[in-house]
Amino acid sequence: MTAPTESTPQAIVGRRRIVPALRGHGGASWHRWRYPLTRRTPLLIETDYNRTTLAAERRILNPRPVLWTVALLILSFAPPLFGDNSFVAASTNFAMYSAINVIWMLTIGTAGIFSLASLATVGVGAFGTAYLSVYFGFPFWAMWLVGPLFGLVFGIFIAVPAIRLEGFYYALLTVGIAELCRVYVIQSKTLGAAAYGLFGADGFVPKGMPEHEGLVIGYYAAFVLLLLALTLYRAINGQRLGRLLRAAPEKHEAFAEALGINYRLARIQVFLISSAALGGVGGFYATLLHGASPSLFTMDQLLLLLAMIVIGGIGTTEGAVLGTLIVTLFDKVFIDLGPVRLILIAGIMLITVLFLRGGIFGIPDQFAAWRAKRQSERRGLQSGKGGEIMPEDAIEIADKQSIAVRRFDARLKEELRGLISDALIEEHRTTHGKRRSDPLERVLTFFRRQAVADKYAILAVKAFAEYRIVALSGRRGVPPRVVDDQVFATPEDALHGVFVKRVQDLMES
Amino acid sequence: MASIRISAYTDQLSVKAGDTLNVMASADATESVRAQLVRLIHGDQHPDGPGFIEQIVSSPIDRDWPVRKQYIQKGNFLRVADVAGKLAPTGAFTLHAYIFPTTPDAGRQMLLGRWSVDGTAGYGIGINPSGRLEFWVGDGTAADAVAAEVKLIARVWYFVAASFDPATGVATIYQEPVINRYNSLLSKIVPYDYRSHVSETLRARPSVPADTGFLIGGATERNPARGAFVGQCYNGKIDRCGLQSGVLERTTLDAIRDGGTPEHKNIIAYWDTTAGYNPRGIGDTVLDKGPHQLHAEGYNRPVRAQTGWNWNGRNDCFRLAPEEYGGIEFHADALIDCKWQPTLSLTIPSDLRSGVYAVKLTCDEAEEYTPFVVRPVAPKAAICFVVPTASYLAYANISGALDSPAQAVHGATSIFDEVDVEAYKNNIEFGLSTYDLHDDGAGVCYSSWRRPIINLRPKYRTPGVGPWQFAADLSIVGWLEAMKYEYEVITDEDLHREGLAALKPYRVVLNATHNEYYSEKMLDATEDYLAQGGRLLYLGANAYYWCIGFRDDEPWVMEVRRPEGGTRAWQAGPGEHHLASTGERGGLWRHRGRPPQKLVGVGFTSEGMDQSVPYRRMPDSYHRAVAWVFAGIEYDIFGNTGLGLGGAAGIEIDRYDLSLGTPPHARILAMSEPFTDNYPLVQEEIFFMTPGLGGTQHPYVRADMVYFTTPNNGAVFSTGSIAWGSALPVGNFANSISRLTKNVVDAFMAAGPLPGGA
Repeated sequence: MTAPTESTPQAIVGRRRIVPALRGHGGASWHRWRYPLTRRTPLLIETDYNRTTLAAERRILNPRPVLWTVALLILSFAPPLFGDNSFVAASTNFAMYSAINVIWMLTIGTAGIFSLASLATVGVGAFGTAYLSVYFGFPFWAMWLVGPLFGLVFGIFIAVPAIRLEGFYYALLTVGIAELCRVYVIQSKTLGAAAYGLFGADGFVPKGMPEHEGLVIGYYAAFVLLLLALTLYRAINGQRLGRLLRAAPEKHEAFAEALGINYRLARIQVFLISSAALGGVGGFYATLLHGASPSLFTMDQLLLLLAMIVIGGIGTTEGAVLGTLIVTLFDKVFIDLGPVRLILIAGIMLITVLFLRGGIFGIPDQFAAWRAKRQSERRGLQSGKGGEIMPEDAIEIADKQSIAVRRFDARLKEELRGLISDALIEEHRTTHGKRRSDPLERVLTFFRRQAVADKYAILAVKAFAEYRIVALSGRRGVPPRVVDDQVFATPEDALHGVFVKRVQDLMES
Repeated sequence: MASIRISAYTDQLSVKAGDTLNVMASADATESVRAQLVRLIHGDQHPDGPGFIEQIVSSPIDRDWPVRKQYIQKGNFLRVADVAGKLAPTGAFTLHAYIFPTTPDAGRQMLLGRWSVDGTAGYGIGINPSGRLEFWVGDGTAADAVAAEVKLIARVWYFVAASFDPATGVATIYQEPVINRYNSLLSKIVPYDYRSHVSETLRARPSVPADTGFLIGGATERNPARGAFVGQCYNGKIDRCGLQSGVLERTTLDAIRDGGTPEHKNIIAYWDTTAGYNPRGIGDTVLDKGPHQLHAEGYNRPVRAQTGWNWNGRNDCFRLAPEEYGGIEFHADALIDCKWQPTLSLTIPSDLRSGVYAVKLTCDEAEEYTPFVVRPVAPKAAICFVVPTASYLAYANISGALDSPAQAVHGATSIFDEVDVEAYKNNIEFGLSTYDLHDDGAGVCYSSWRRPIINLRPKYRTPGVGPWQFAADLSIVGWLEAMKYEYEVITDEDLHREGLAALKPYRVVLNATHNEYYSEKMLDATEDYLAQGGRLLYLGANAYYWCIGFRDDEPWVMEVRRPEGGTRAWQAGPGEHHLASTGERGGLWRHRGRPPQKLVGVGFTSEGMDQSVPYRRMPDSYHRAVAWVFAGIEYDIFGNTGLGLGGAAGIEIDRYDLSLGTPPHARILAMSEPFTDNYPLVQEEIFFMTPGLGGTQHPYVRADMVYFTTPNNGAVFSTGSIAWGSALPVGNFANSISRLTKNVVDAFMAAGPLPGGA
């Protein structure tokens, strides 16, 4: 027993309120606006009663649209307004690589095909359109139009092995293909082996425009490209194809197939669509830089791209864009740092891989999981205190009476354990249908009063011949389950069998 | 292979020669069953008794019959026969209702509207899976909805409405609490803001299929195997509700919220749930006060006579203030009538003697008995055995032991049969007993025999008790057969319908082991019978206890209310203590001035199911007026065997009490030996809670065997114990209890004055 003066120091529990909550609309009329022609409201807002204050509070279930709007607004004016020429150029690079990564995310994330040929696809589009422009005089808009065709054809070519090869092996193959492309273009005279690249293609920036304005036009074009990539991502990932593939995640493909989902076809479709889109980015690249460079096929570029999506977190567009931002920042903006910046990028990537499970955007989930784990560990440590409910558990229990009952039962059990003896068990066995001693009645009364869930009962398999011990479910409609393989010939034996089991449970608790 | 299962019921429990009895059966995994007519002699298979005894009676039904799976429509709802299609508005409209949801988080529930679940068509207002009020429409391909901002709180009265304008597509939800000091679980001191007013522009316009009717408390569904049925049933109360044309302004709705009557010009339908009460109760029709008289019909007996949104705690009955009793209670798991198609019919042959019978259906190992009683066309015998069918209804399909703390009540671990588990895991498919709670925690106040009743079967043993009710009562039937008495059988239904006339032809009436539930007419008939010289053997305990009601149009449905007093499985809500079937106050007869002691000398005093005990003869029994009862009984202690927990006194027990109206000249002939503490004193005897209310410590925990005479050579012999009946068959009906009962029956059968000159 705890002496009345003794008190156990307890930390204060309950989550600190960081962001003030919006109140519900209450009696005010609230017209919920929808996007035209859809059933979607701009934000997933849910109002619910706060358990502590009972106040109706509004919560945005999915804050991403807000974050995106803010981020895109900043991107739409900040770089040209505040940056010098090199910053604008770097921003252009950032937007274009973001577009590439967002589309690549369709392949890796949505389709689940681990292709490292994304940049190579862009390269094929760039070299193809540059070639058409240099040798056949294609204007920039025509280059934009045919770019996707190059991407699609290249996509078909590399999609074939994806049917047979999986994961790591396919990734290796795509690296090989990229390398093959690089070797081809640096040896092909037609594709500019001498000039390290094929240049002289048409561009969309009017000739003779001042440098800064030209760069700004380039930036906005790349920004629009990013918007188009995001739209494409939303259209694929958020619609039928994306949903089909989400229904067939890794290791559950067979189940999805059994449901009639042709996940292979869906994967290839997504892969081809993203390849065509990357080809289109290639066309844009060629018109931006007036040609194409074999660096598109190089390993270091590929690794930078990989760094971008790993840092941001695979599977989300915001991860792709944030990762691109960080890597571009180090690679292009802090160019004065020299080669050290590459080591910094590697360092960030290493930290991400070592400590984060879903990149930077996975941090909130990871933090919540870590906190839950810490809480359960603390509970584990406290279990030495007789299984009493701890403050952090109590705040999760709606009916506080159950806390009182549990505490009461724990003390009563302690008392009853002192009554259990071999003689008592023997008394129970021999006094069926007779008056029992007060200690035995006390124990029996406690047993009978217990909650229905997991309470023992007896099943008459065959009346007056075969009885077994079962445990009640405590949930209406869920039948009792047989607890062990003991079979009793008479109801009296079965009743004693239940008593022995209950005594065991009491002594073990 | 699926195992064969047969379930059946009969449309009547009491028939006589010439009547046609329909048997409704449903079977899984077989298309044919063998039928036989059997006379039931003994049920309980306890090895100390004679075991199960039936006599096969040859009859025209004795052959194989085709049988199929039949479905059950559970749930309360109101159906509106809208022949003219008035409830498919083409223009703007508004739905409104007062509601008191009890399980808002139990999934989608319909409040009112015309909604086809499988067709995604129609309109309706209900509760969505997140527990919020929602208005939805469907055009046959797509549905669209607007939901309230905050969740509904259980057991709080709201006034809710939804309006829709097809011209603009704007749908508006209106949700306001109408809490007063009495009507809801929570008081105004709780800082919830219950209000919500949300509008959205919907894309879909409702199209209402002609075959999807207007329902209150449910939605239409179809399934290829089952056809059309009603799903998405609601748990909770609905008070006055309606459909009006046009989009009602908020101020207009505010006026209704505050108790105003809707303006007549807009009304398409207005179901006034307070209309139609009379002092003798109310039926299942909910009247429409609108221009089209589209009255709604209740299904599975929605509970009426319940408090409404404006109940103010002062009036305790609809007879005083019908306008405060607009609450109709809906339960998704209610079941009154399976409405199965008859599988076979039997015309009762004229040569079939009165007794307890059953149609036995078998197929391989599977069997099903549907018991019924054949009463005489013209009574001839001296002895009448009254089968307590009203009490059977009260306990019909009791599943309490599987999900309530029954073990504590029984004082023993429950022993289940496979049939209990089977019925339980099939979602309690045959409905609940009046000892069970609906899913939302409300007590079940209606029970009917138009459904398979798994514990109204001859071999059934009640978990934690053993022989109980029908199976135990068959021990009395078996005893009457073994003693070769000429006897006839009637049921509570006959007693209720015919009153004294049902008992008057008989010199001796035997009651069963546990005739606990009595209507006023049944009680009057018994009292009148005794007053005019009838002789009654009350071979049970805890009888004449609860007041119940039947409606004349549906005698298969029994109603019970459980107010503050009595040993009860649940507690009726405040102000809901009066029977909707009759207008009487429900509860214990004791609390209406008619304790059982007043009629039979003893009344309920304790119960426990761990053991039964013998009787000990009392000094009064040696008086010459009563000593004849003990002729042939050698020992002072007798009745120490029995199929019911090993003794003749036990399970539930009754006690003599002058203060409760035991006739002053009544004698206690014998008294039970001491019980254990699992027999506590009944709740209605306890005014101050003190320790020591168990059988080992309280003198009132005992079974009294009582005898007294009534006018005109009438008499009452009461045993005060349920276990008495189950003690009769021990030793092949040769035992002290059997002998003693025979002494009394023989004496009662003889015409003229009773032995002993008393």
